[in-house]
Amino acid sequence: MSADGATELEDAYEELLRFVYATPVGLLELDASGAIGIANPVAMQLLLQFVPPEGLTNFFSVMEVLAPELRNLVDGFRPAAGIVCENHRIFAGPASRREAAESKVLGCTLVKLGPNRLMAALLDISVQIAQERRLNEAEAWFSSLIDDSNDFAVVMLDAAGRISAANDSVLQQTGLTERDTIGQQLDIFEADDLCSSRTPPAEKLAAARRNGWHLEEGWHKTGNGGRYWCQMLVTVRAGAEESPGSPIAGYTAILRRAQQHQFNSANLKQLLTTDHLTGARNRAHFFEVAERECLRAIRFGQPLSVIMLDVDHFKHVNDRHGHPAGDETLKTLAQACSRLIRNSDVFARVGGEEFAVLLPATDLQSAAETAEKLRACVAATEIRAANATLQCTISLGCAALNAEARDIPTLLAAADAALYKAKHSGRNRVVVANTRQTILEPVSIPTLELSAKGG
Amino acid sequence: MLATTSTDYRFETIALGALDGLTGEQRDILSFGVIGLGADFIAEIYNATESRLAGISPARVLGSQFFLNIGICMNNYLVAQRFEDEPELDTIIDYVLTLRMRPTPVRLRLLQSPSIARRYILTQR
Repeated sequence: MSADGATELEDAYEELLRFVYATPVGLLELDASGAIGIANPVAMQLLLQFVPPEGLTNFFSVMEVLAPELRNLVDGFRPAAGIVCENHRIFAGPASRREAAESKVLGCTLVKLGPNRLMAALLDISVQIAQERRLNEAEAWFSSLIDDSNDFAVVMLDAAGRISAANDSVLQQTGLTERDTIGQQLDIFEADDLCSSRTPPAEKLAAARRNGWHLEEGWHKTGNGGRYWCQMLVTVRAGAEESPGSPIAGYTAILRRAQQHQFNSANLKQLLTTDHLTGARNRAHFFEVAERECLRAIRFGQPLSVIMLDVDHFKHVNDRHGHPAGDETLKTLAQACSRLIRNSDVFARVGGEEFAVLLPATDLQSAAETAEKLRACVAATEIRAANATLQCTISLGCAALNAEARDIPTLLAAADAALYKAKHSGRNRVVVANTRQTILEPVSIPTLELSAKGG
Repeated sequence: MLATTSTDYRFETIALGALDGLTGEQRDILSFGVIGLGADFIAEIYNATESRLAGISPARVLGSQFFLNIGICMNNYLVAQRFEDEPELDTIIDYVLTLRMRPTPVRLRLLQSPSIARRYILTQR
């Protein structure tokens, strides 16, 4: 090759490098085991949200907690080459427990190029997911307006969120007089409901300002002291057209009686808040509800507890019986536990084999009793995997809000520390935070298969 | 040339002031990568070692927003955010860079001080 040719080639190579350095999509080349061979900076940036730099060697290991199914998808893909998954959604939740506010959703495309070569593309689709959710909710709402000729209560609010007018239907639906409502905030219509989380009025308005509307469902009061399931749409009334930058004129809220959970948005919400593998609530939902319940508990001086639980020797299940058996273990466990908790509790998968239970209006002693029920139930449950019937146990740590733990990260850290103690004092047991005492001694399981080693 | 002065030119210990006072030639013979960023993280310095490691010539880096064009994997709370948050910064961290798209374990030294306009990232393989 001539000197000019070589320079030209070097130049082209450098241009290409510069192009890939700046590519705003994460790209990785992997071998069949998931070992990362080639990666561009965005791939590293996205993965660094979940693991420290030293953990960035194997893609499937990085994803073990958030999307263990990726490895199974690749293992189960029989063709010699082809698309394994396209824009598979990874609900990453907050990057750490301490960043509860921000939920991330990644879209992952995996292409098998040969027996030992895979390409992965990663894209942060958090914003699109949030938009999609809002659009779907709005679509469901507007189609229900067309389909249905129910009576709508209309409430006008001023720019500060105080009720300035209400139509006759409001009075029929709620039993409140105009005098009762004028000057009040939107929560005046809401029934006391310990079992679900409510967005405070200011947050509803903030969401409406951000998105143009805010849609919410919940129990509302009727005139005779009862309650009804109400869908509420809050929209923004824009300021004067000639000065678009001016503050908004106010808000309009429409209240509509509905069948509970019949609405599309409820199904959609179910999809967006559920862990696809286990059917438990997902991590993002857990943190969303936990933050809200925490504020409420502090405001009303009520107790709030959490239980962190973790499958004993889970690594051993995967190593010995394969990942499908591991998945089956998590599914069976989640189903068994979900049956034991109250509707007001939230049972969520927060990590690979790690689950959390949020227990509103529950003190530490009651939480420990619930934890023991979960422990006993799991220990007595048989797990039917394809090639074996297994039994497994869980370790649990409980903590409750108190003078030292007054926020969710601290509360979870306390429950985590208790869980750690439970693990290190023999597993298959419940430990309560801030006490050295194991409240409930484990029951021996005659044919405990999974007692060798591992997590 | 460097040997004749008493300045410390080691990755771990070179002072920000000394680093900022180096000539281009002096920076280019250092064994570690030197990236100097001005206002808005515009790349103003990109030494020969860094250029060789990353496979990009300084001309293609200088004048660009570094964390958007080349150093995207450092555009996070571990690196870029620290420059935003800590006016006085001198720390060494273990990191992984994608040099020529190969994940490469490196040590990074982050240097910033209110008295010097430019902040520096030093990279050592």
